[in-house]
Amino acid sequence: MKYFSHQNVTSAKEGVSCAKDCNGKASFIAGGTDLLGILKDNLLPTYPEKLINLKTIEALAGVENLDGVVRIGALTKLSALERDLEITRNFPALASAAASVATPEIRNAATLGGNLCQDTRCWYYRYPNHMGGRMDCPRKGSGPCHAVLGDNRYHSVVDGKRCFAPCPSDTAVALAALGATVEVLGIEGAKNLPIEEIYSPMGTVLKAEEILTHIDIPAPPPESIQGFKKFTVRKPIDFAIVSIAAKVNITNGIVDGANIFFGAVAPQPYRDEAVESALIGEKFDTKSIAKAAGQALVKAKPLSMNAYKIDIARTLTVELLESFII
Amino acid sequence: MDSARQFRHIGKGTPRKDGRQIVTGGTKYIDDLTLPGLLYGKVLRSPHPHALIKNIDTAKAEQAAGVKAVLTHKNAPDWKFGIPRVVALLDKKVRYAGDAVAILAAESEELALAALELIEVEYEVLPAVYDIDDAMAEGAPVLYEEFPCNLLPTQSIAFGPNTLKEVILGDVERGFAEADVICEANTSYDNIPNPLPIEPPGVIARWDSPDELTVWSASQSVGWHRFMMMGKMGFPEIRSIGTQCGGSFGSKNHSPQPFFYAAALAKVSGAPVKMLYTKEEHFGAFVLRLGSRFSGKIGLKRDGTITAIEGEWLVDTGAFSDQAQTQIAVGLGEVQLVLRCPNWRLIPKLVCTNRAPSGIVRGFGGQELESSILPVFMEAISKAGLDPVDFLKKNFVKPGEGYLWREGNWWVSRGQDYSEAVEEGAKTFGWDEKWKGWLTPSSVNGRKRRGIGVGVHGNADVGEDESEAYVRLTPDGGAVIHANVAESGMGQRSSLIKMVAETLNLPLEKVSMTEPDTLVAPFEFGLTGSRGTWAVGTAVIRAAEEALKKLHEIAAPILKAKAEDLESADGKIRIKGSESQTLSWRRALGVFHTVTGHGSFEPDYSMPNFMMLFVEVEVDTGTGQVSVERVVAATDAGQIIDPPSLEGQIYGALGAAGLDTAVFEETVIDRRTGRNLNMNLIDYKWRTFEELPAFDNVILENPLPSHRFGAIGIGEISTSPGPAAVLMAVSNALGTRLTSYPLSPEKILAAVKSAGEVE
Amino acid sequence: MSYERSNWIKFHVNGDCREFAIGARPGELPPSETLADTLRERLGLTGTKVGCDRGSCCSCTVLINGVPSLSCMTLTVECDGASVTTIEGLPDPATGELDPLQQAFIDHTAYQCGFCTPGMIIAAKALLTEVSSPTEEEIKVALGGHYCRCISHYHVLDAVADAAGRKR
Repeated sequence: MKYFSHQNVTSAKEGVSCAKDCNGKASFIAGGTDLLGILKDNLLPTYPEKLINLKTIEALAGVENLDGVVRIGALTKLSALERDLEITRNFPALASAAASVATPEIRNAATLGGNLCQDTRCWYYRYPNHMGGRMDCPRKGSGPCHAVLGDNRYHSVVDGKRCFAPCPSDTAVALAALGATVEVLGIEGAKNLPIEEIYSPMGTVLKAEEILTHIDIPAPPPESIQGFKKFTVRKPIDFAIVSIAAKVNITNGIVDGANIFFGAVAPQPYRDEAVESALIGEKFDTKSIAKAAGQALVKAKPLSMNAYKIDIARTLTVELLESFII
Repeated sequence: MDSARQFRHIGKGTPRKDGRQIVTGGTKYIDDLTLPGLLYGKVLRSPHPHALIKNIDTAKAEQAAGVKAVLTHKNAPDWKFGIPRVVALLDKKVRYAGDAVAILAAESEELALAALELIEVEYEVLPAVYDIDDAMAEGAPVLYEEFPCNLLPTQSIAFGPNTLKEVILGDVERGFAEADVICEANTSYDNIPNPLPIEPPGVIARWDSPDELTVWSASQSVGWHRFMMMGKMGFPEIRSIGTQCGGSFGSKNHSPQPFFYAAALAKVSGAPVKMLYTKEEHFGAFVLRLGSRFSGKIGLKRDGTITAIEGEWLVDTGAFSDQAQTQIAVGLGEVQLVLRCPNWRLIPKLVCTNRAPSGIVRGFGGQELESSILPVFMEAISKAGLDPVDFLKKNFVKPGEGYLWREGNWWVSRGQDYSEAVEEGAKTFGWDEKWKGWLTPSSVNGRKRRGIGVGVHGNADVGEDESEAYVRLTPDGGAVIHANVAESGMGQRSSLIKMVAETLNLPLEKVSMTEPDTLVAPFEFGLTGSRGTWAVGTAVIRAAEEALKKLHEIAAPILKAKAEDLESADGKIRIKGSESQTLSWRRALGVFHTVTGHGSFEPDYSMPNFMMLFVEVEVDTGTGQVSVERVVAATDAGQIIDPPSLEGQIYGALGAAGLDTAVFEETVIDRRTGRNLNMNLIDYKWRTFEELPAFDNVILENPLPSHRFGAIGIGEISTSPGPAAVLMAVSNALGTRLTSYPLSPEKILAAVKSAGEVE
Repeated sequence: MSYERSNWIKFHVNGDCREFAIGARPGELPPSETLADTLRERLGLTGTKVGCDRGSCCSCTVLINGVPSLSCMTLTVECDGASVTTIEGLPDPATGELDPLQQAFIDHTAYQCGFCTPGMIIAAKALLTEVSSPTEEEIKVALGGHYCRCISHYHVLDAVADAAGRKR
């Protein structure tokens, strides 16, 4: 890797002010499993002069239950999350999403915040610089999106705009279905926003000096059922081709609330209101599930090679929701 | 397994000689080696798939910190490689995205990479071609002026003046007239997968004088870096030393590009240079499989007799041919081994395209041709209503039957009838119970449909090329094998040691082998085509026998017996059958002497081996996922030398651009920019621990007339039957014929949909 | 390029204490250096293998504070205070006796080219430390990211299960 300097910080506030002092020439490093690959491949037109290490912020690692809201520090490792009793008991969708990421070695290093903020896996974007030069694209500030006329089998089928790379995060999909919000600390202080709002077609909306510090998940109603499923070619190491997270409330056999989010189909976890409304008010059974699944991604405008994702999304919907039937 | 033959070591699983080193991290691979004053080489690569270098300015790079040599097409040595020899070390034209533009050497990798960024290049971008048909079309962009329509000669003299360049036998018109079923098709195996050993290729070069080059490399066949390279460089003396090789699967027999780069930079800088490819270079600028397409027709009788095969075999070699012509020759031989037919007209065409070059990969032409041609046969066999196991069993070559082999001669098999192995394999797999007929799943469970398939491959290269070895007996009752044999994962060094220990009746720990080094050992072609067991084995066995004979001749007068009446065990000589008098080797030789025997092997293509792979898959019609559930491999090894090593070779069917090229392996080239899009281990799919199918090996041991142990090798062919077997299995599971590789979710879902529409 | 005041870091490798000055000057360890490079280039511990250098093959796996970690995706500067175990650290330092896992790999010939073997043994070591008799499924999950192109997997599963049995 090309040279960069390195600084440990012990609080998010210190991290923000350190980044501010660097005038956009620093990057934050958490688990590093995504960032170091980006730096090794020299993917971006800019290269950080400094890495600001967030792992030394002890306060941001761990899970705590605060009166009906579970607060997860962004530096919590995925391997810790998949084993945490609070998470496995009350948020199995998140535990399952965390456990589905990459490999045990990656999850031992990767953090929840990093999983949420990781850069896109678009294979044009990821073209390594030393193999003939990086490929420019709108996300890098210039050039066309190569995926539109190229090999877009893994790209977004909905909501893409200028860039058609889907959000690669598995945990984001689960957190969206669970109604989570994130806390972001910036120069002007902290703000909270729903998880799916940190994503835009061009990447996360976080500014260079902003740090995602916490993830807050409201306690799920006791009658709700939740889960996460991910379709990949292989179990380990693969990013989702399509994933789904759902939280469904059922009262007296009738669905009275449904959060259905798909992953790897859009720049953000994609809320599928068509599936949700097809479920709500219906008796929760295989028939209504099949009908709702048929609505999955009806608004999709697939590119030339990725319409198959819609079929997979519908299959996953059936599979996940049917697993909720006791 | 046959237990009638009793051996001391042969046939028993014994620890590999290098085992302790491997498990303690002590084994030295090429990147573990360093030399005093070592420089690090790096390559500047082209952004364009096809372009002329109009101008290149290296002035700033030459002045950069730590840089000791910078080479471009303007000042590089005039060394060429490829068949024909037209590929320059560095050219003013680039022919694939990632092709080399300039190379440099610096004191560290970081300095070398920094200096690369200072080289300024101006290109004239040319249109590019990626597809066989496009490349041959009138007016297509031409990669080499010498080769209009991008057609390279299929003829080479690699295997002598009559090197096989086509199969023309009998009378195809008459053959088709006799046929009950004729199928015509255009089928491809062109997903150009990467053999992708875990260790990227690497070479260290050092010039000891202007005419003497020493190279260290990760190579499967260490001699290649001497005898394959000398002529390309004006015949300097080359000493080639092998390190442990972190996997090869053919691709690292030699590494011409890194070899040339390291040697050229070392020459200019006057210092040793290490050229170790990154994984991305390994993916995008080293060795891919050949692209392959069969376009033609075949004829069958209802009883499964093949009456005629006629067509074109279109081979896509990418930017240049390294060994494509030799792979064509072997592929043409191998297809005759598995498809017995009196009437042939099979003409290859070799095409170059603007993507990274193809080279040697396990399966060597045969896998490519068979994976393209077997799907056509599947259609014909199903029309004839035949069971594919019966058909394939009927149609591979049996003892007494002949075939044209790669060097152009007609050979008659004196090997094994593998029918017994096939029958045993089918029984173990449960073929008869699972086979429900063509395009019929063996079971259906909701979305999940199971299907079975079968493939076969054969190879007569198990006896290819020349080997020589010395065995030196030492007074302490030990033996040293001087042979230039690499360890690239086959366990072959340990297996050869077993053969010698068995021949000399010594404990394994008393036998050792010199490290691979062309200076130390006599000629050895290398570990190609599964030749290690028979060809190299013959050389070391004969050397051991000769050494022992010499020793017995020395001992005979002392023991007052005839040399031929003596036998030796554990470093002691005695008269055969007598218990009383023994003479130690030390006493026979004296402390200050050794005795050396020489052994050799000459090519013999009369003993083809075969392997049949039975495959069961489960296809999820809701997600398009293909899951390989069960594999049974059936073959006959004559005699197993080392069971775990042999099993490892067969399990290798899954990896190294083998069976999985039908499931998920492919190199994705962007058709607009020529860029290779999946140069990483996430987007390039490989089999993990969590997707291991149940895998059974059925290995018979009917001794073969090879050498004293009756063994032949089979690792070369284990990858080859898989792709066609998977294609058949998935077609049967879905009830619709699939003909293209790999069977990605989108293809499966599309097939499910179109089958649904038909219903 | 910014030249900072040198900082020293200290960590243990196979029980030995190692100290490095961090910085950009000659002889200093740049903050951009990975643990894999430090182990291999500075400490000569070449048993840790770099396959892909992108965290996708697991051949560079070492234990950091007992946790299987990708040394190619770890900055050495961030190992301050840690305890690192590499394949060279598994045999008994006094007797040279192999770890039961290493012996089981030899006994089952659980390798072909051997390049991926150190990483697999390290990951399996962590598994057996945590779970004394893992199921086959648990072994597969623990080794799920380990790339082996030769397909040594079947023999590796036997070796790990055997080593677990021997430990009991």
